[in-house]
Amino acid sequence: MPPLLQVSGLHKVFHGQTSVDGISFDMEQGRCVALLGPNGAGKTTTLRMLAGLLSPSRGSILFDGKPIGKDYRKQIGYLPQSPSFYNWMTGEEYMHFASRLSGMGRKEAAGRAAAMLERMGLEDAAKRRIGGYSGGMKQRLGLAQALVHAPRLLLLDEPVSALDPIGRREIMDLLREFGRETSVIFSTHVLHDAEEVCDDIIMMNRGRIAEHGTLSSLRVKYNRPVITLRVEERKAALQWLESFSTRSFILESRRDVDGSMLLKVEDMESARSVILREAAERGIPLLRFEAGSLSLEDVFMEAVGG
Amino acid sequence: MRSAWFFYRKEMLEMTRSYKLLWIPVVFIILGIMQPISAYYMPEILKMSGDVPPGMLELYKLPGAAETMAKSLGQYGMVGLLVLALSAMNSFAGEREGGTAELVLARPLTPLAAASAKWLAQLTLLALSLGLGAACAAYYTVRLIGGLSWSAVLEASALYGLWLLCVVSFTLLFSACLRAPAAAFLSLAAAAGLALLHTLLPRPLRWSPAALPQLSVEALMQQGATAYAWVFPVLSGIALIVLCFLGASLLFGRNKLPRF
Repeated sequence: MPPLLQVSGLHKVFHGQTSVDGISFDMEQGRCVALLGPNGAGKTTTLRMLAGLLSPSRGSILFDGKPIGKDYRKQIGYLPQSPSFYNWMTGEEYMHFASRLSGMGRKEAAGRAAAMLERMGLEDAAKRRIGGYSGGMKQRLGLAQALVHAPRLLLLDEPVSALDPIGRREIMDLLREFGRETSVIFSTHVLHDAEEVCDDIIMMNRGRIAEHGTLSSLRVKYNRPVITLRVEERKAALQWLESFSTRSFILESRRDVDGSMLLKVEDMESARSVILREAAERGIPLLRFEAGSLSLEDVFMEAVGG
Repeated sequence: MRSAWFFYRKEMLEMTRSYKLLWIPVVFIILGIMQPISAYYMPEILKMSGDVPPGMLELYKLPGAAETMAKSLGQYGMVGLLVLALSAMNSFAGEREGGTAELVLARPLTPLAAASAKWLAQLTLLALSLGLGAACAAYYTVRLIGGLSWSAVLEASALYGLWLLCVVSFTLLFSACLRAPAAAFLSLAAAAGLALLHTLLPRPLRWSPAALPQLSVEALMQQGATAYAWVFPVLSGIALIVLCFLGASLLFGRNKLPRF
């Protein structure tokens, strides 16, 4: 059986500017994939191509091993970044309209629409005009309309970025719930959101995939020992700190904004003993010494070259 | 095509909730009945304004019924057209710029189905407005001025309606690729351009849809210079509408997302 979604060599060029520059990945049924990247990385463009709203300049998208067509649209649910509805409709009317457009019969549409509204906690607002909904309610309605026809693949563009912490919590809980029933691709620029619900992470930067893997495999891959050092602002001490950039056992060093030094090392044991011995010998006024490993945030910064 | 029907119902609901389905027919009715009423009461109106030289009022002759009816329809070519273009300009542009198109077109709805629904909704609005407007105008003309042949009124209204539909189709075409104000302006400019060309070169452009208003007047006056003069303008009008409709659905398919 082919994977649910096969994306190969996806390119999109707008007015001579490359927005998505050769993306390829496969996605298995039932997975939750996070598209992670800074603003302008090409996440929205990628999702719009996956939703069939934009045609790729080059490359192909296969769903169930077949090129995407009209039938495909019945099997996906799409929620854009800031969904707009017909404000003069009620929530119930919109849900009904959306399900009929997706080819559902009258009875089935009414039943599913009511069920989804209830699941999203919108049953009290169902008969009110959408124009009067709050941002969080609109987002929940957006999720409801994306799920009403029981799609096999859910595409969500920044589903929580514009929400307050409470609205964010609600949507994340719903996502975790629905992630068990269907396959999900969602984009975000908040790493924490991706860690919370997803199995796989695709890090994007400048239209390319910078890193791709399961959450755990990325953790293992980037599990490098890191030493964080901070000293008092004295000349001799700062000079000593600077000298690390040329030492052989240091793979990489970086000064943080707060003045502390991040050192990626090969072997934690030996590096630790060398640094501590030197500090003692030279009487370095140490403020902070920390031995640990890279957080996923650092992985992200490294992968996108921040 | 089932999705086109649901989209059409949504369009009609939108027109009802925004009161378009109420006020545009009302405007057409008012425009239509103003002509016979003002013609009938003209002597009174002149008397009220005073300062009418003696003998002037005796010279006033009530215009003929057909002439009054033709003038009523002529009102639709100016104010009516403006109202229709302004109401249709947001059809595609509003959905695209507002972002609602992105949501509905991610569903199995094709741009062709959406365009058919929108075009049909505009046709419904036009038929309702023009039908009610022309019927009221004819009723007052018959009541106040004199008899009219109902078949001539029907024929004249249909010819005029086709011309109005041409301009509405222009608006839809431009709305599918431009912002709303630009769409309204360009479609009215195109209508004015066609009409101007037809006035400048009436003989070589006999077949142009811009000849339809003139034909509608002739139909009322029952002075059809040549029988079947309407064939080519009607055919070219229909061809223009079909082209605009196909162009609109093609362009809407390419411009689903807000411009940046």
